[in-house]
Amino acid sequence: MFPEWMQGAPNRFDTVLVANRGEIAVRVLRAVKEAGLRAIAVYSKPDSESLHVEIADEAILLPDGPLSENYLNQEAIIEAARSSGAGAIHPGYGFLSERADFARAVSDSEIVWIGPRAESIEVMGDKISARSRMISSGVPVIPGDEVSIPEDGAHLGPLAVAAAKVGYPLLLKASAGGGGKGMRAVREPKMLRTEYEAAAREATAAFGDGTVYVERLLTGARHVEIQVLADTHGNCIHLNERDCSLQRRHQKVIEEAPSPAVSESVRSSMGDAAVLAAKAVNYVGAGTVEFLLSSNGEFFFLEMNTRLQVEHPVTEMITGVDLVQKQLEIASGLEMGISQDQVTISGHAIEARIYAEDATRGFLPAIGTLSTWVAPSGPGIRVDSGVRQGDEVTVNFDPMLAKLVVHAPTRKAAIRRLDSALSNFVALGVVTNISFLRNAASHSAFLSGNITTDLLDSSDISEFSDPEPPAKTLVSIAEAALRMGLDKTHSGVAGNPVDEHTGHSGDPFRTLSRSYP
Amino acid sequence: MEWSIGDESERYSVVMSNEGEVMSLSNITMDGQEIELPNLQVSSDASSGRLIVEIEGIPKFAHIARVGDDWWIHLDGRAHVVKGYEKGSQKGQDSDSGLTAPMPGTILEVLVKKGQRVREGQTLMVMEAMKMEHKIQAPSNGEVSLIHFQEGDRVDMGSALIELAD
Repeated sequence: MFPEWMQGAPNRFDTVLVANRGEIAVRVLRAVKEAGLRAIAVYSKPDSESLHVEIADEAILLPDGPLSENYLNQEAIIEAARSSGAGAIHPGYGFLSERADFARAVSDSEIVWIGPRAESIEVMGDKISARSRMISSGVPVIPGDEVSIPEDGAHLGPLAVAAAKVGYPLLLKASAGGGGKGMRAVREPKMLRTEYEAAAREATAAFGDGTVYVERLLTGARHVEIQVLADTHGNCIHLNERDCSLQRRHQKVIEEAPSPAVSESVRSSMGDAAVLAAKAVNYVGAGTVEFLLSSNGEFFFLEMNTRLQVEHPVTEMITGVDLVQKQLEIASGLEMGISQDQVTISGHAIEARIYAEDATRGFLPAIGTLSTWVAPSGPGIRVDSGVRQGDEVTVNFDPMLAKLVVHAPTRKAAIRRLDSALSNFVALGVVTNISFLRNAASHSAFLSGNITTDLLDSSDISEFSDPEPPAKTLVSIAEAALRMGLDKTHSGVAGNPVDEHTGHSGDPFRTLSRSYP
Repeated sequence: MEWSIGDESERYSVVMSNEGEVMSLSNITMDGQEIELPNLQVSSDASSGRLIVEIEGIPKFAHIARVGDDWWIHLDGRAHVVKGYEKGSQKGQDSDSGLTAPMPGTILEVLVKKGQRVREGQTLMVMEAMKMEHKIQAPSNGEVSLIHFQEGDRVDMGSALIELAD
């Protein structure tokens, strides 16, 4: 049974397999169900009890072992799609989402790939080919050069020459890197070897490739990206920008839309450049073109992410466009049904990434059991979470637990809403960055909107430290809790009363002794 | 029980007195010294699993969770860990002359040899955890007295990696 919206589509499917885990799998599985389709999850053994497995219509166990055996196991995932009757595969982000060979293998198996063509992924996935394609299409790029290093990394001569030409400080990137892995800043020539070795190791560990790319490090720049949407009928539009300037070691921390630094004219020229970039690779689906925006309004192409982004919800909040639903429509071969002049900006949205990490110890990933996990709710608050109370946080996967997204009429109101929502986000048993996010969002630089990508890395961490804890109150609470015998490890909201009549707690219409028919 | 706020060195002892369902703070000491006593009552909000804390007459809710001897407390928008110790247990028992692995992972590089003098802040080892590199650095000047692992070894969280002598 195909849902009504898919009638007349050339590539119809009634079942979608989501080849991912965590919050993005939950997000996409929910969208799939909402679209009237069957939602299939895949999982590895440690994820047996995960939220994404629970909400799927059917979940398929992948082989045990390292990621290459399960979430990166192309054959097993395609086989899971076949056995469950899935007519389409959505890759989420990370994992296989930007693997051209997987996109090709899926299409070759007569399964609809919910993503761009393999060729688009290939061109944009390699920083060097992406760059030359952008240059030939007239999209502005940062001064930089490619270097291929011999397998053993013994001769850094060519790298040193390229580095001198580009100029210091520079950024050293593994060609196949991403997400801050395999990427190193080199401030002076004598650090070149050390940083190269670290970058090469990280890139090999995470991606299995070793070509290197050097580019000028623009200090004091902002990271601004444009969401694009393209269909198979030749329509290509942009959905405005997201500002992801608040980063730590090239990992985004807080993202917002619209950008406080983007004027209407920059938005329009950057949007045009993004559409140009997408068209240059015959892009189809949802994608993101990342730019560095310098303080004088100049911008340079950074890379294109040929998939859904972690921070896509801020765009959804301000434009009202459900990007995952659009991905499904476009994959089925329908026209996207929205034109550039229908894209508007309503209010301001901010996303904060909730990580299991300890800001007071160099942001080390933290592990443990989420004994208490109560996410905030209310008008303009959205939480995309991959975990529940009682879940185990392990070192097996990325430490991002959830995304908190707020939407309000103005940036100031959105910041207040963010702080309030973060205050009401209760996560106990595992150290999280929630407190750090509050400190960052109340920092004068963030409040003023003057954020550059090097803010967190170049500031003294004490500027973001917590206020003095109320020691007397805390130790009194601990002593009282101990005396009251509240010693079960999983406490929290377990005792939430459920109203017999309405089925949920706190219903303002319930009465103590009567229930209405 | 004695308490500390996270890894802070101050130890607190607390006496709570019962008044029916409500407990009132009746004495508090920090490192053995009596300190100023706030007007503070704690009671249980059984239906929600939270505690109601009244400080100088102002009620607040606290979420609590126990993990081992530690209490995780969410109060006023922040999460805290209050660590419990048996009375009189050694102070600073986990402050170290041996350096431990902050995360489970793999040793990538050992940059020092046994017997070598090292400066404060010098990188002694590089380990890989969660696909990221972490540097293990000397907390003070000293001499490397023992190296527990070699390059390529897998280590568990908290494993002693290297030991320094003054």
